[in-house]
Amino acid sequence: MKYSHPDLREALAASYVLGTLRGAARRRFVRLLTADQSLSTVVEKWEHYLTPLAARVKPIDPPARVWRAIEARIARGQVAAASMPEAGSSFWDSLAFWRNWGLAATGLAAALMIATVVIKPQPPAESAMVAVLSTPENVPRMIVEKHSGMLKVKVVQAWASLPENDLELWVVPKEGAPRSLGVVSYAKDSEVRRGNLDNLLADGAAFAISKEPKGGSPSGAPTGPILCSGSIAKMPVKT
Amino acid sequence: MSELAPDAQRLAELLARSGMSDRKAFAELYALTRSKLFAVSLRIVRERHLAEEVLQDSFVNIWNHARDYASAKSAPMTWMTAIVRNRSLDIVRRTGWEMQDDDDFMTNSLEDGAVALDDAFEMKRDAHSVHRCMDELEADQRQSIALAFFHGLSHSELAEHMKKPLGTVKTHIRRGLLRLKDCLGQAA
Repeated sequence: MKYSHPDLREALAASYVLGTLRGAARRRFVRLLTADQSLSTVVEKWEHYLTPLAARVKPIDPPARVWRAIEARIARGQVAAASMPEAGSSFWDSLAFWRNWGLAATGLAAALMIATVVIKPQPPAESAMVAVLSTPENVPRMIVEKHSGMLKVKVVQAWASLPENDLELWVVPKEGAPRSLGVVSYAKDSEVRRGNLDNLLADGAAFAISKEPKGGSPSGAPTGPILCSGSIAKMPVKT
Repeated sequence: MSELAPDAQRLAELLARSGMSDRKAFAELYALTRSKLFAVSLRIVRERHLAEEVLQDSFVNIWNHARDYASAKSAPMTWMTAIVRNRSLDIVRRTGWEMQDDDDFMTNSLEDGAVALDDAFEMKRDAHSVHRCMDELEADQRQSIALAFFHGLSHSELAEHMKKPLGTVKTHIRRGLLRLKDCLGQAA
């Protein structure tokens, strides 16, 4: 088909915007669009013509889970961008490590022994923190965000009810044992407020969620399986 | 009704801030536009879980391309609606959408006529003119264009729904679009 004829370009752009251009023809047209600026201009004109029709569609509220999923996908993008490997970057930066770590039978002690070989300069204190906690199967389940004086723990996808257990949030420092930040909800967003939060998080490399008996780990160290974990991305604070 | 609608200026601002990775601005942008855009998609894909998927993909896309918005010449709601409609039409093709609930179409179209225009589309003037220009079309042309636009019907689905030969439906659409273009071209 010749796409150069003005009438044809006009007709294709119109049916693309209207939606009647379908299947292989639509895909072909999309490919052309990316290469042909003047064709994009024709499409924009038709969008300008027709799209205001949508103003009359009665609004319908989407469920809250849509926003959760969007947030998780965006946060993952930011984590990926913020934790781009730099020279001498540690294995802590590797989300893959964290995803596999939860199931490692050798468990925390072994992981922490490896951790002690890592020496990395501290990032500046003025940074925002975010972590997406994923299961070993790489499914994002929770998001942890640092706000002033507290952590917000958001549930991307609620866990099945845990009548006998609680979820406990841990910060795993670059060196040393994980520190408990407290018990969080398995089904809804939680806020974690601790007086010494900044100290607890100072050299945090990752967050992890473990399954613990009611009320949290009796020993002060994780006792149950790590359900999800994720390395902490630090981003410059927006002004 | 209309004073509650987000104005285009605000949406453009939020898009610009989203382009600079401002997640708070993006959250507000979503809150202001989600129900309209969800409804637009739901009409086309017909199933809630598909419309949820469309909304999710579209907003990730909007986030990733928010900085490109500045160079688009369209109103913010037009830009975002186009993203949602395109994604919806992709999904419809992917899942082999089947016609259902035929009577619903006309009911919905009638209901929509009664809903106040939304300031979010900024172009109140243009919105009026596209609706005015739609009114000037012949009934068959208007119906086929509305069914295609709102419900994402393909030519063959239109033919089936309107119980007319495929060629006739294509002609309705082609002539209808040409008349719309003439009418809107004058208004611009």
